[in-house]
Amino acid sequence: MENLIETLKNASPAVQAIGVSAGGLIGVFATIAFFFVLIVAADRFGKR
Amino acid sequence: MAAVEYIQSMQDVFIGFTSITWKMLVMYGIGGLLIWLAIKKQYEPMLLLPIGFGSILVNLPLAIAWEHEGVPGFLHILYDAGIANELFPLLIFIAVGAMIDFGPLFRNPLMIFFGAAAQFGIFATMIIATLLGFDLKTAASIGIIGAADGPTAIYVANKFARDYLAPISVAAYSYMSLVPIIQPPVIRLLTTKQERGIHMALHEKPAPHWLRILFPIVVTMTAGIVAPISVPLVGSLMFGNLIRESGVLERLSQFAQNELAYLVTLLLGITIGGSMSAEKFLNWQTLLILAMGLVAFVFDTAGGVLFAKFVNLFLPHERKINPMIGACGISAFPMSARVIQKMANDEERGNIILMQAIGANVSGQLGSIIAGGLVLALVPLLVK
Repeated sequence: MENLIETLKNASPAVQAIGVSAGGLIGVFATIAFFFVLIVAADRFGKR
Repeated sequence: MAAVEYIQSMQDVFIGFTSITWKMLVMYGIGGLLIWLAIKKQYEPMLLLPIGFGSILVNLPLAIAWEHEGVPGFLHILYDAGIANELFPLLIFIAVGAMIDFGPLFRNPLMIFFGAAAQFGIFATMIIATLLGFDLKTAASIGIIGAADGPTAIYVANKFARDYLAPISVAAYSYMSLVPIIQPPVIRLLTTKQERGIHMALHEKPAPHWLRILFPIVVTMTAGIVAPISVPLVGSLMFGNLIRESGVLERLSQFAQNELAYLVTLLLGITIGGSMSAEKFLNWQTLLILAMGLVAFVFDTAGGVLFAKFVNLFLPHERKINPMIGACGISAFPMSARVIQKMANDEERGNIILMQAIGANVSGQLGSIIAGGLVLALVPLLVK
């Protein structure tokens, strides 16, 4: 991960933007997925 | 000698007339246009009217409302008190949090993913902005227009690109008000009539009260762990929501939804307008930013719709999602949900998908602040 960050630090702004976009989209989906699991688990728990 | 003094004194008397430049005249036109849009078209009038008036105020000769003889004027004082330290956007978030009902999302949890997919415009626009020559921080601030969320746009722009705060804010709020014009053609382009006519089953079961209380707390803690820098954004939004859902702070909730929202919106609007001095606003970058704001909204809409179509590939026929719902993943709440419901009804009278649309729309609010927080966390890793 540190190597990737170091590489991106020396890259052009467009490549840096692609890196931030990839990280950002993965981060948003992962966080949202966690909330999804939370809601579904709460629903299942609530049925008991 | 007396004649020279006379001419000098006359110049002082008429300094208001002699100081006017063509750039000021253009700004009066822009301010007038924003006020016209607010009053005549009723596009975000609570924001565009104060922004328009503020932009006229700050471009009057000598800009007394901003600063005079080294003493800050009232617009400058408001700017330092509420924008420079990011207080106004956070107060707005408390108000917005108190307005949001996550109930429709709890009843249709799958809708939450559209809140992530419709953030695509942020990142696509950021890449395009760098290709147009903007540095990464400015490009990220421009991309955040695609959050379709004024306070987040202001918050990020204030941290990364303060010089472009005015055009970014104006673009964010203007395009939010233009959602009914921007989204339908993009949706029609990407969907078939048959897809737009898909009916969706309504789940009536209400969410348990404990989930409504636990949710804002868990979201805040998760955001604090994933992207600590996003805590002011997420925390203020979720604090407002907790006040609403607690059930014991009804008066505070009503205050946040009404008096707090109105007061801060008023001050935020006129202060943003006050930052639109001709020197800062009238340049090619402003035009580019306004154009890219539109690109961001188009990509957001496309991202949400295409993601819905992708999800449909894996769903059985009776559980297919109306792909228009994906467009509600932008956080222009509740306007986007209303637009989609109207489109569904226009396609087939009686097709009600409003609750699912609202579920996706409130998840867009979540997605936008998470995206904003991640941008705030990731960009400084690459550029100082």
